[in-house]
Amino acid sequence: MGKGYLCFVLHAHLPFVRHPEHEHFLEERWLYEAITETYVPLIDAFDELVEENISFRLTISLSPPLLTMLTDELLQERYLKHLDKLIELAEKETVRTRDTAFYHTALMYRNRLYRIRYLFVEKYHRNIVNAFKKLQDYGRLEVITCAGTHGFLPLLINQPEAVRAQIGVAVDLYASHFGHKPPGIWLPECAYTYSVDNILKEFDIKYFFTDTHGVLFASHRPKYGIYAPIFCPTGVAVFGRDIESSKQVWSSNEGYPGDYDYREYYRDIGHDLSYDYIEPYIHPDGIRVNTGIKYFRVTGKDCEKQPYCRENALRKAETHASNFLFNREHQIAHLNSLMDREPIIIAPYDAELFGHWWFEGPDWLKQVLRKVHYDFPSIETATPQDYLKKYPCNQVATPCPSTWGNNGYNEVWLCRENDWVYRHLHIMADKMTELVDINPYASGVKQRAIKQAARELLLAQSSDWAFIMYTGTMVEYAIRRTKEHVQNYLQLYDQIKSNNIDEGMLGYLEYKNNIFPDININYYKKMPEACYATS
Amino acid sequence: MIVSLTWVLGGALILVLLTVFLWSARNKQKKPIPRHVPMVSREEFAEELAIPVTFPPQPAAKPEMPVIPWNYGKDRITLMVRDPNWIFAYWEISATKQEEFRSTFGQDAWNNSRSVLRVYDITGVESFNGANANDFTDISIDDFVDSWHIDMERPNTTFCVDLGRLFPDGTFITLLRSNIVQTPSIAVSNLLDEEWMWIEGIYRTLTRLHMGSSPMITEEIGKGMGLIPLGMSSPGLGNRNN
Repeated sequence: MGKGYLCFVLHAHLPFVRHPEHEHFLEERWLYEAITETYVPLIDAFDELVEENISFRLTISLSPPLLTMLTDELLQERYLKHLDKLIELAEKETVRTRDTAFYHTALMYRNRLYRIRYLFVEKYHRNIVNAFKKLQDYGRLEVITCAGTHGFLPLLINQPEAVRAQIGVAVDLYASHFGHKPPGIWLPECAYTYSVDNILKEFDIKYFFTDTHGVLFASHRPKYGIYAPIFCPTGVAVFGRDIESSKQVWSSNEGYPGDYDYREYYRDIGHDLSYDYIEPYIHPDGIRVNTGIKYFRVTGKDCEKQPYCRENALRKAETHASNFLFNREHQIAHLNSLMDREPIIIAPYDAELFGHWWFEGPDWLKQVLRKVHYDFPSIETATPQDYLKKYPCNQVATPCPSTWGNNGYNEVWLCRENDWVYRHLHIMADKMTELVDINPYASGVKQRAIKQAARELLLAQSSDWAFIMYTGTMVEYAIRRTKEHVQNYLQLYDQIKSNNIDEGMLGYLEYKNNIFPDININYYKKMPEACYATS
Repeated sequence: MIVSLTWVLGGALILVLLTVFLWSARNKQKKPIPRHVPMVSREEFAEELAIPVTFPPQPAAKPEMPVIPWNYGKDRITLMVRDPNWIFAYWEISATKQEEFRSTFGQDAWNNSRSVLRVYDITGVESFNGANANDFTDISIDDFVDSWHIDMERPNTTFCVDLGRLFPDGTFITLLRSNIVQTPSIAVSNLLDEEWMWIEGIYRTLTRLHMGSSPMITEEIGKGMGLIPLGMSSPGLGNRNN
């Protein structure tokens, strides 16, 4: 029987939500929740497989804002405080729930949090990027990068310098953490448009991913559909998302996470328990937030939720892992009957789906990787680099501009709720190139100001803000962040132009928005026109 | 239009709040100031802390929403692609540009003409000069509008847009010309590579193509209970709340 490759891609990203100016900032909790519920559990799962000597290959992109926050001492310190508080709550819960149906789950949370604390503090010394690096060194993970601040590149490409900077700063940050250049990139929102690959090529990036139609609707009909990469005319490889495997995890009807035995996300004691009891563990302003402690299972639609049973849920995760691989096995057998080479199946997911949203997700993934190793000889996990090494000769075609957002193109990031941001982002990028071009030898305070202006521009460009405006929840924060960075930028621009830099303000911004400390502003130098022909 | 209205309303609201604040501060000085009233703007705050030594955590009172300009005094029109059917343009015309127009075409010329977006289909056109488009579509635009979502329903097409003035006699004067964009395709290409002949069987398995996200958590997101927004960007979570 022929073989096929299964390529898991996890995209890990959070917007830059570091707020040193407040001790308790609501949005910083996104990071804490993701560390507790997603990143550390994933690392724990991978470590376990390594200890069992199971070989597996998995691709993971760590976005630069996430890399920055995970290695930031202030946030590490704050996370630990947060975790300790959570442990305190979990301890209380084991007392409160004694003699109830929730007791075992309460114990599970308590033990789990202690384990997370051990891994975070003892094993990885607060820096979990080291864990990813170690797993890369062990030949299990292929860590890739993402654009600088998760900028939505198709809508920034009018100023190719802005896109070059998004890529350049990401590549530099990656290299500073991992010691070499990133082999590939996850384009934010899986969003590709013409000429983005020119810039990737400039940074020696070997591959990226698109949604299914990005490859399927390429300029020339791809021989193998989405089951082999194509090369852009620039030579950068493109891998297209597989429909079937993604549907099994995502679909509203057939998707695994909605299974009735899995943990229900929306019944959190942060919202459910009496205010007096929960008050020390929610936001100091009294805003109720998720604690991560949830006692119910999905149970069913529109019915009373039943208590969560960890054993049943884990058993279900194992069943689903087998089911997933059974389907891949059939898919691969079918593809092998048609293709004259081994297919590769690209299965990309948001990392935060695993653990944070789908509580059992890391267990499912661990089971999948374990079962591939033991029970499914026709399936091998692989990274894009592995596949390209094996099949270096691929068809050349220009991918179709596409995203993995609603309906597959740009409508999420360019709609009536957020279209206003681009009139600012574009002119800021123009002005950035102007600043760099007219100050080639800037040094001292002026150089610092130009660098900070670049940081503010990058932060304003995060696709997260436009996305949040589109979804309609937490919109104020997204608008505020956008306007704040625009305002900071414009003030710095005026100060640089008039040679009248407010050092106090500059120092404050450097302290507050401290992403990319070694930013190379030369990426903003004017590019020759030929680099960004529309097609 | 709606956006600028929001700005005006927003500005008015801030003024009202400020007036209320100042009034109460002057008249009832002993009364504690309510926490939610914005007290200092972000910039003043920054200057206050001019020496970058240590920055103690600040109370959680929300600072005012930063105020940023709407226009930048630069003549420009930018065209962007939303999807295979829709494109989007935003623009800005400076007062100087209007003056130029008046001095060239007469003082009444502005009032005697109307604002028009002329959308050119320039697919396959080598170098577009304003006169060699395959065809064009005119869209009448209110003078106060400065962006437009354009429904062209033409995938795989190259576009350029002029913002100009149309006179009753049909004369069109271009004020601004946009960049060039190309809408994406919505179908499998008909271009085949001889050495890479497509495998029909594979394409038969791909018929149920669902582009972009699937609506797994659509209904859930509205509850807004602290789901990490990042997760929301991926398929299944990328759906709108309303």
